[in-house]
Amino acid sequence: MKPPLPVRLWQWFEQTTPGRAIFRVGVPRSNLARAQAMVSSFLLHLQPAKVQKRTLQPATTLGLGLISLFLFAILTVTGVLLMFYYVPSTERAYNGMKDLEFVVSAGLLIRNMHRWSAHLMVLAVILHLCRVFYTGAYKRPREFNWLLGVGLFLLTLGLSFTGYLLPWDQLAFWAITVGTNIASYAPVVGPKLKYLLLGGNVVGQEALIRFYALHVIVLPAVAGFMIAVHIWRVRKDGGLARPDEPLEAVEQLDAGQLPTNKSYGLMELAKGTSPQVGVDPEDLVSSWPHLLFRELLVFLAVLALVLSLAVFWDAPLEQFANPIHPPNPAKAPWYFLGLQELVSYSAFWGGVVVPGLLVALLALLPFFDRGRAGVGRWFARERAVANTIFSVCLLVMVVLTIIGTVFRGPNWSWQVPWKEPPAAREEH
Amino acid sequence: MNPPTPNSDVTRRGFIALACGWTAGAFAGLAAGIGAVRFLVPNVLYEPDQRFKAGRPEDYPDGAITFLEDQRVFLIRRGNTFRCLSSTCTHLGCTVNHSGEGFHCPCHGSTFDSQGKVTSGPAPRALTWYLVTLSKDERLLVDKGQPVESDKYLVV
Repeated sequence: MKPPLPVRLWQWFEQTTPGRAIFRVGVPRSNLARAQAMVSSFLLHLQPAKVQKRTLQPATTLGLGLISLFLFAILTVTGVLLMFYYVPSTERAYNGMKDLEFVVSAGLLIRNMHRWSAHLMVLAVILHLCRVFYTGAYKRPREFNWLLGVGLFLLTLGLSFTGYLLPWDQLAFWAITVGTNIASYAPVVGPKLKYLLLGGNVVGQEALIRFYALHVIVLPAVAGFMIAVHIWRVRKDGGLARPDEPLEAVEQLDAGQLPTNKSYGLMELAKGTSPQVGVDPEDLVSSWPHLLFRELLVFLAVLALVLSLAVFWDAPLEQFANPIHPPNPAKAPWYFLGLQELVSYSAFWGGVVVPGLLVALLALLPFFDRGRAGVGRWFARERAVANTIFSVCLLVMVVLTIIGTVFRGPNWSWQVPWKEPPAAREEH
Repeated sequence: MNPPTPNSDVTRRGFIALACGWTAGAFAGLAAGIGAVRFLVPNVLYEPDQRFKAGRPEDYPDGAITFLEDQRVFLIRRGNTFRCLSSTCTHLGCTVNHSGEGFHCPCHGSTFDSQGKVTSGPAPRALTWYLVTLSKDERLLVDKGQPVESDKYLVV
């Protein structure tokens, strides 16, 4: 049977001179060619040529890192589209939002996709962090990748924060006001940092353009680069953490040595603990097509979810920024409400000390939690103490977020969601 | 002068070259960093003047606490005395509202008494009072760049 026309066209193109110049390896038809296809492509070589079978099982990682990556990709594409209409000016930004909503073809859909992807990405990154913790996957030799992950978590929050400022609505204006004031509580450099962020003393045009530059180029560029290193390091650190990981391979890698007990094909040789070390070859499958096909499925699922949300729910846009009347209550998006609940007790302790300590603890975690027991297994009994401490911290943040979301009414006073809130005091 | 130890692979010449190279590199990096940060600190601000005229004293009824929206301050008249109170919450910069005897902040729930002192909530300091003077053309002149004690009045 002859292959269908598109396939024949592709096969013909592969044989042409430019085709061979671009794709060194055609569509692979042998295991060797599959491995070559993975290592000879810039994007694919970030991943191993062969993966453990357990890597492909959904329960191993729940695909959370991939989901975060695909959300980042959707955010980049929709974000670039939005840039064609958005003008970072206090006079025009808000009208640009209205244009996107009512005038531009598919403008509302693109903006909705961007907003919901951003919310989902924060959620996916937090869950990914929890997954890595609960499977003990941050330990040697993966300490540096955990650090990169903590950095990417902070970048995700920074991208979200700088993003929701841009519409220059009430949420935007008061978020910049409150956010830069929290920065001013930082020890020593606080007030100078606020001046630098705002580009002056008042929240206005200079502040908007600074946050715009951070949002559309500085933070995404840094995040994009770090994501690439993060994924590549998964391969370089020997694939996903797993229970039967041979410690000697880890030590060899730490000592910068290449394992010498290799007898596999050229394309399966990679520095250090490439996935096949100490494991029967039968446990490995070619990334092409097994891993790539599953990644495509995850991407389609993420895209379908984002599209569904964007079709049925519109991204909120509050009233035009008004420096005289903060909305009452003035609430940040859900992922900052735990922090907002904390600063409602004390700006210094809740806004600087507690978040700073939490981030420092997260970053240093793999360097003081050095035991090897329970790596690669969910909720390992050997890690009960670490898991309990982490869970308590997580629970406290979740409870604070829930309090901030539903139990805080006008004037940030306690309210019970199923009762009519007391009328806001609004006279001057 | 000691000859280099035989089993050391660092020669005097190599050491000097390395030291010069690293020092030059460090200085260049430091200078670029300082320059970039300095570039981002604005030298000119296109911001409104901190001083403004708030009209004639007789525009304000006795006992009134008037909110001046453009300037985000309260102008307070008691008899023939005038004071000016900032409406910017000292916690995180929201605009406080006047209610009853005092002021309250809608963002994180701080409350202040009629003298601007914190009565509850996370605000770390009292609201700021600004210097009020009388201009030559008999207008109230407020300087938001000049904080004063709460017991400082302009007597007209």
